[in-house]
Amino acid sequence: MNIHFDWALLLPEMVLCGGGVVLLLLDAIAPSMRRAFTPIAVLVAVAAGYAAWYATPLGNAVMTDPARTFNGQIESSALTFAFSLVVLLATVLCLLASQGYLRRERILSGEYHALLLWCAAGLLLMLRATELLTIFLALETLSLCLYSLAAFHRRIALSGEAAIKYFLMGAFVSAFVLYGIALVYGATGSTRLDEIGRALAAAPSVPVLASLGILFLVAGFGFKMALVPFHAWSPDTYQGAPSPFVAFLSVAPKVASALVLYRLLDAIAQGGAAPYAAKWSTVVAVLSVLSMVVGNLLALVQRDLKRMLAYSGVAHMGYLLLALVTLDRASLMPVLVYLLAYALMNAGAFAVVSMLYNRPGEQHLVSDLAGWGYRYPLLGACLAVCMLSLGGIPPTVGFLGKYVVFLNAVADGHVGLAITGVLASLVGVFYYLRVVYYLYMKPETRQPEGLLIDVWGRTAAVLAALGTLALGIWPTDLLQWLIAATALR
Amino acid sequence: MDTFFGLLIGNSLTRLVFFPAITAVPLFFLARASARSAKIYTLIVSLIELAFALQYLFSHLGPDGTFPRVHDTVLPWIPSYGIRYDLAMDGISMPLVLLGIFLVPIVILGSWKGIEKHWPLFGASMLLLTTGVLGALLAYDLFVFYVFWEVMLVPMYLLIGIWGGERRIYAAVKFFLYTMAGSLLMLIAILWMAWTLRGLNGGVWSFAYEDMLRLDLPLHQQIWLFAAFALTFAIKVPMFPFHTWLPDAHVEAPTGGSVILAGILLKLGTYGFLRFGLPLFPQASEAAQPLLVALAVIGIIYGALVAWVQEDMKKLVAYSSIAHLGFVMLGLVAFDIIAWQGSLLQMVNHGLSTGALFLLVGMLYDRRHTKKFAEFGGLAKVMPVFAFFLVFSSLASVGLPALNGFVGEFMILTGSFRTLGWPVAVATFGVVLAAIYLLKMIQLTIWGPITKEENRRLSDLSGREVAALLPLCILMLWIGVAPNSFLQPSRQALEEVLAAYQQRVAEPNVTQATLRSAPVQEASR
Repeated sequence: MNIHFDWALLLPEMVLCGGGVVLLLLDAIAPSMRRAFTPIAVLVAVAAGYAAWYATPLGNAVMTDPARTFNGQIESSALTFAFSLVVLLATVLCLLASQGYLRRERILSGEYHALLLWCAAGLLLMLRATELLTIFLALETLSLCLYSLAAFHRRIALSGEAAIKYFLMGAFVSAFVLYGIALVYGATGSTRLDEIGRALAAAPSVPVLASLGILFLVAGFGFKMALVPFHAWSPDTYQGAPSPFVAFLSVAPKVASALVLYRLLDAIAQGGAAPYAAKWSTVVAVLSVLSMVVGNLLALVQRDLKRMLAYSGVAHMGYLLLALVTLDRASLMPVLVYLLAYALMNAGAFAVVSMLYNRPGEQHLVSDLAGWGYRYPLLGACLAVCMLSLGGIPPTVGFLGKYVVFLNAVADGHVGLAITGVLASLVGVFYYLRVVYYLYMKPETRQPEGLLIDVWGRTAAVLAALGTLALGIWPTDLLQWLIAATALR
Repeated sequence: MDTFFGLLIGNSLTRLVFFPAITAVPLFFLARASARSAKIYTLIVSLIELAFALQYLFSHLGPDGTFPRVHDTVLPWIPSYGIRYDLAMDGISMPLVLLGIFLVPIVILGSWKGIEKHWPLFGASMLLLTTGVLGALLAYDLFVFYVFWEVMLVPMYLLIGIWGGERRIYAAVKFFLYTMAGSLLMLIAILWMAWTLRGLNGGVWSFAYEDMLRLDLPLHQQIWLFAAFALTFAIKVPMFPFHTWLPDAHVEAPTGGSVILAGILLKLGTYGFLRFGLPLFPQASEAAQPLLVALAVIGIIYGALVAWVQEDMKKLVAYSSIAHLGFVMLGLVAFDIIAWQGSLLQMVNHGLSTGALFLLVGMLYDRRHTKKFAEFGGLAKVMPVFAFFLVFSSLASVGLPALNGFVGEFMILTGSFRTLGWPVAVATFGVVLAAIYLLKMIQLTIWGPITKEENRRLSDLSGREVAALLPLCILMLWIGVAPNSFLQPSRQALEEVLAAYQQRVAEPNVTQATLRSAPVQEASR
C-alpha cells in the first residue's frame, strides 16, 4: 500500500513518550533537578492535551480517509478528545500528588514520571484504537508500566506483593484478551471492530467461537475496570501500591477500558445483530448489579481507607455500567460525565491520603484521621468534599454523574436497575460519611510525624475538590460540550 | 436582573437564598480567629438576611394582605435536560421562609455559650443550612428542589455530629441515612416523571413544577410515584412509623441544631406534601387518604403518650414534636380549606413554641448540664424570668386560647372534622394529652420546693437569652390574638391548590399518561 499516513494524529502519544524519555535522560544527566520533574511532567501532559486537540478534526465528523485513520485502526474525534482529557486530568493530578510522597520515601526519580507518562500514552492509544490488535498493543504498553509503578516502592514488601498480584492476574488476563482476539478473528475474519460487527450480523447464527471470544474480551476489560467478579486484585494492589500512583491506577485505566468495552459492544449492535447485542446488554446489566452490590457491601466493612476506596471504585464502575446497558451513542455522555466526576473525586481523595499517611507499608486506617479535619483544615475539607461527592450528594459533580447515569437508565426503561443502583449508593453513603465523621467528630488519636505536605500535593487536592464543587454547581457548559462531543456522527 | 449576579444584588429570592451561603465562606477562613468575632459576624449576617426577607415581603405584600406568587427571573441551569433555575415564593412558602430566616439569629443567640468549640464552623454550617432550607422551600423546578433538599443534609449532619451529645455520631449518621434513603427513591420518581413528560412533550426535557402539574398519570403509576415522594416527606415530618430518627437526632443535637430541626427542617416534610406530594398525584393521595389519616392520628396519640413518660425534658419536647406534626398532617390530608390554613399556621406555631422550648431546655442545660426532671424542682423561686418563659411557651404549645397553638389546632380540628369525621375525635384527645405532659414538665421543674442544693445558686436568664426568647413569645401572642393577618397572605394560594386538587380528583382516571394543555392550578385563576 502506498498511503502517506498522517503521523500528526499520533502526536499526543509521541509527546508523552518523548517527554518520558527526556525525563529519564534528565534523571541520568542532572539528578539534582529531580524536584523540577513534577512541573516538567505536568507540562508534558498539558502539551499532550494540546496535541490531542490539534489531532482532533473540527466538528463531529469522523474521518474515514484511510490515510488519516491508519487504515481504520485509530479514531480521532471530539469523543476521543474528551476521553483523552479525562485520562490526562488523572495523570496531572497523580503527578502533582506524587512529589511529596516520593520525597518523603526518598524514591524521587525520573523513572516514576517517565513510566507514568508512558502509561498515559498507552491509554490514549487504547481509547482511540478501533481495532483489536492495536487495542492489545496499547493494553500491554500500559500494563507493563502499571506493574512497574505498583512495585515502585522497592524497599517495601507490601508494594512488591501488590505488584506481583497485579502482574500475575494481569498477565493471565492479557492472555485471555489475546485468546479472545484470536477466537473473534477466527469466527469473523477480521480484527477491525466495525467489520466484526458486520460479519456477526451477516452470519445466519452467531458462532460460538465469537461469543466465547467476546466473553474473554469483556472479562479482560472487566478486569482492568475491576468489575465483580474480576475485582479481586484491586484492594490488595491499591493497598500496597504507592498512594499517589493509586490516584492514577484507580481512574485512568478504567476510563480507557470503559470506552473499549463500549466500542466492542457498540460494534456488535451497530452491525445489526440486535437480538445478539441485547444478550450482551444483559451481561452488562448483571456485571453492573454485581459490582454495585458487592462493591458497596465489601467497602462497608473495610477499616483501611485505601481498601475501602478500592471497593468503592468497584461499586462506581458498577454505576458506570448502568449507562452502558443500553448500547446507544447517547449513553456515552453519562459515561463521560461519570468518569470525569470519578477522576476528580477519587484522585483528590488519594492525593490527600498520600499526604496524610506516612507509613506506606502499614494499614491506612480511617480512624487514624480522627480529628485531623481541624489540624489540617484545607486537606480535611478537600477529603470531605471528595467523600461527599463519591457518595453522590449535591452540589458536587459526583451527584451530577449519578444523576445522568440514573436518568439514562430510567429513560431506557431500566427502572429496576436504577432503583438497585440508588439503594446500593445509599449503602455507599454510610462508609463515605464514616471518613467525614472521623475527620470532624472524633478526638485526635495520632500525632502527625514524618508527614510531608508539599505545595504540589496541596494543589492536587485543592484542584480536585474545587473541580468537584465547581462542576457540580455549574455543569451547564460541561454538559453541553460533552453532548456535542458524543453526538451522533 | 436577567443574570444570576444581577438577581443576587437585587431585591430577589436569589439574594435571600444565596446570601447566607456566600457569607458563610469567610467563616471557613476565620477558623483560627476568635470565636467571638465569628459569633458577631454570624449574628450580623443573619440580621441582614432577616432585613432582606422583610424588605422582600413588604415589597410584594398586597394592600389587602394577600401575597401573590412571585417568580425570580427564570435562568437556564442545565439546558441539556431542560433544568431551569426557577425560584418562586407564594403564600404557602412565604410564612415558612420567614420563619426559617427569623429563627437563625435566635439560634445564634441561643448558641452563644452552649457551643464551646469550633464556633466558626458552627456558624458556617448554620448559614449553609439556611441556604439549603430556603432553596428547597422556594424551588419551582423539581431538580433544583432535589438539589437543595440534599444540600440541607450535610450541614445538619455536621451540627448534630460535631456539637451533639454523647451518642452524637450514631444520631447524625442515622439522621443522614434515614433522610437520604427516602430522597433517593424520590430522585428516581422525579427522573421517571421527567422522562414521561419528555415523551409526551415532543422530546423536550423539563423538570419545571408547572409542567409536572400538567402530567395526568394513571392510578397505578401515581401510586408508586406518590409512595416514593410520600416516603421521603413522611421520614422528614416524621410520621409514625418513620419517626425513630427524630428523638435520637433531637436529644443528641446541640440546642441550636434542635431549634432549627424542629423549627424549620421538619416543616419541609409537611411542606413537601402540600406542594408536591398531594397536588402532583391527586388520585393516589386520595386513595392513600385513609392510611395517611390513620398514621397521623397514631402519631398524635403515640407521640403524646411517649412524651408523657419521658424523664428527660429534651426527649419530652422531641416526642411532642411528633404529636404536633401529626396534627399538621391530619389537617393536610383532610383536604379542607380551613384545615389546610390551620395546618400551615400550625407549622409556623410549632416552629415558634417548640423552638422556644428547646431554647429553654438548652439554657437550663448550659447551667446544670442535665436535662432530667428529677434534678430540678422549684426553679420558679431562683429563676423567675426563666419560669415565665417556660410557662408561656408551654401554654402556647398546649393550645391555650389567645396564644398561637390554639388557633392552629382549632382550625385543623374543625376543618378536618368536616371531611374526616370520627378519627378527628380521637385526635382531639391529643390536645388533652399535650396539656398533661407539658404541665407535668412545668410542675416537675419550676413548681414545688427546691430539692437539690445546686439549684439554689442558678443564675436567671441573661439579657442575651431574653433577647432570643422575647421575639418568639411576641409572635406567639400576636398570632394568637390577631391570626387573620397571618392567615390572609396564604389563603388564596391554598385555595388554588385545593381547587385544582378537587377538580382533578373529580375527573375520571386516565388509563395512560397524558399531558394537559395547562396545569389546573394556572387555569383556575
